[in-house]
Amino acid sequence: MSAAVKSAPPRATSPRPAGFSPHAPSVTLPLRFMVTGLLALITGVGLLVLRPAMLATYHYNQYVIATTHLFVLGWICTIVMGAMYQLVPVALETKLYSEKLAAWQFAFHLVGFSGMVWMFWTWNMKQVGHFGSVLTVGVGLFVYNIARTLLRVPRWNVIATSVASALVWLTLAVCAGLTIAIGKCTYDTADALAPGTLFGAVLHGLKSVAKFTARFDQIGAMHAHAHLGAVGVFTMLIVGISYKLVPMFTLSDIQSRGRAAASVFLLNAGLLGSFVTILLRHPFKLAFALIVVAGLACYGFEIVAILRVRKRRSVDWGLKSFLTAITFLAPLSVLALVLSWPGLPLTTLTGRLENLYGFLGLAGVISFAIIGMFYKIIPFLVWYGSYSTHIGLRKVPSLADLYSPGLQAAGYWFYLAGLVATSTAILLGNAAGVALACALLALSLATLGLNVAKILSHLVRPRIDALNLRPASGGSL
Amino acid sequence: METTQLDEPLVLETLRQVVDAEIDCNIVDLGLIYGIRIDGRKVTVQMTLTTQGCPMHESIAWGVKNALRNLEAVEDAEVEVVWDPPWSPAMMTDEGRARVGLRS
Repeated sequence: MSAAVKSAPPRATSPRPAGFSPHAPSVTLPLRFMVTGLLALITGVGLLVLRPAMLATYHYNQYVIATTHLFVLGWICTIVMGAMYQLVPVALETKLYSEKLAAWQFAFHLVGFSGMVWMFWTWNMKQVGHFGSVLTVGVGLFVYNIARTLLRVPRWNVIATSVASALVWLTLAVCAGLTIAIGKCTYDTADALAPGTLFGAVLHGLKSVAKFTARFDQIGAMHAHAHLGAVGVFTMLIVGISYKLVPMFTLSDIQSRGRAAASVFLLNAGLLGSFVTILLRHPFKLAFALIVVAGLACYGFEIVAILRVRKRRSVDWGLKSFLTAITFLAPLSVLALVLSWPGLPLTTLTGRLENLYGFLGLAGVISFAIIGMFYKIIPFLVWYGSYSTHIGLRKVPSLADLYSPGLQAAGYWFYLAGLVATSTAILLGNAAGVALACALLALSLATLGLNVAKILSHLVRPRIDALNLRPASGGSL
Repeated sequence: METTQLDEPLVLETLRQVVDAEIDCNIVDLGLIYGIRIDGRKVTVQMTLTTQGCPMHESIAWGVKNALRNLEAVEDAEVEVVWDPPWSPAMMTDEGRARVGLRS
């Protein structure tokens, strides 16, 4: 059927057509998490350049703990939370339960982590506990919001399982962290207060928790808490989200759903045992570390299989960063097994290996992977905010047009060189080497910052051209 | 202004203006269009996306409506997103394959 028509100049952009209910929340919600996370990362790397001795000495001191929380809560957790608000509804084809709760969570998170880092730096554990409680309220809102979102998922799959697992581990990691903070405080005023009063009951309760935690070795508790976050939350999410994003960006498919499910199951089982055995410094730690490594091996094999059958030949720099990051899971797994060896003496070398393990985990795997995905998420958010209403009416840029691939490539190589150099300097316990190597990482972040500024400029000044309408030349389906 | 017929070739040509911003290829050469129905001044496009849960889902479907409604003879445009048959790169045109840098 056909009718006589005229081709008209583009009409003004109309409001969103009825019947379209976007899965994604408004752009400003994840963007505020992204920008905050980036600022925390820049601050953290700046601290490493200014105080390189932090990575060249044993890690159980206030400055390392403060900086680690700046990286973990300020950079990684902030970005992960913002990305989850954006990606979970889209990847699982549902809607975010509440944007309002997410906005409140951002406020609690910002106050909580900033205060915690500051108070760790001055080693005021009572205030760490207070700011930690504020952060916990935020985490509670986040977990509730994402859990309610998961309940709306039409088709449960391995990605939903990994997100649900990460929520459980996040809750446990925060509870463990708060418990450790409670254990480091004194409660002299508790005796003066009757347990029957509200304030007295709280203080007596906290005192009991502190007494309970005193049974555990403090370094073991800190390591167990760190693994809940690093493996249970961040690695779990990297694994789960990979099964959606890697096939999507390379035009491929999951090759074995069983292997993908096994990777998530083994990570969960291994981490449960690892948490207990690390906490108790039990020799079975090695057995559970092996289970986690087996899970990561399943994951690695599945990613290789996905990449082997990919239809898209070229892999962009964002995905290259992500894939390089997960390649670091291999040396990290070897380090994990070495450090889990029963009866390993705590020598200077062991301390350096532990520093290297933490650095490679946070900077090599998690941060590098996030930076890779940053180049997917930020351009998309800005593109969505500036151009999605013009699509089909005007010529709009592609996501890759929003930033400089040259700067991105330079940033990739600076980061990789910085990782290798910092790892070497940590192994040698050389503070000057750490400073120089971290300067390379800072250089990489400068390229990221420039590109982010370039991307954000499209929010202020969108580049929209008229469509070059070609004459109807025919075509067929 | 030039008057042309509202037919399938014109609709396809119009839909070439809708580009998947992540892949940087228009949706016709990507092979996302499964069918076009023209009933008077109403056009219904049956299409798919490269992956379920694609973040570009709403933008692309909306772009299709926008582009079609931009034709004066089109009063109403409908988009039906379907997943069966699932999209595969084999559905892409030669032009699309070359643009995306696809393995054969």
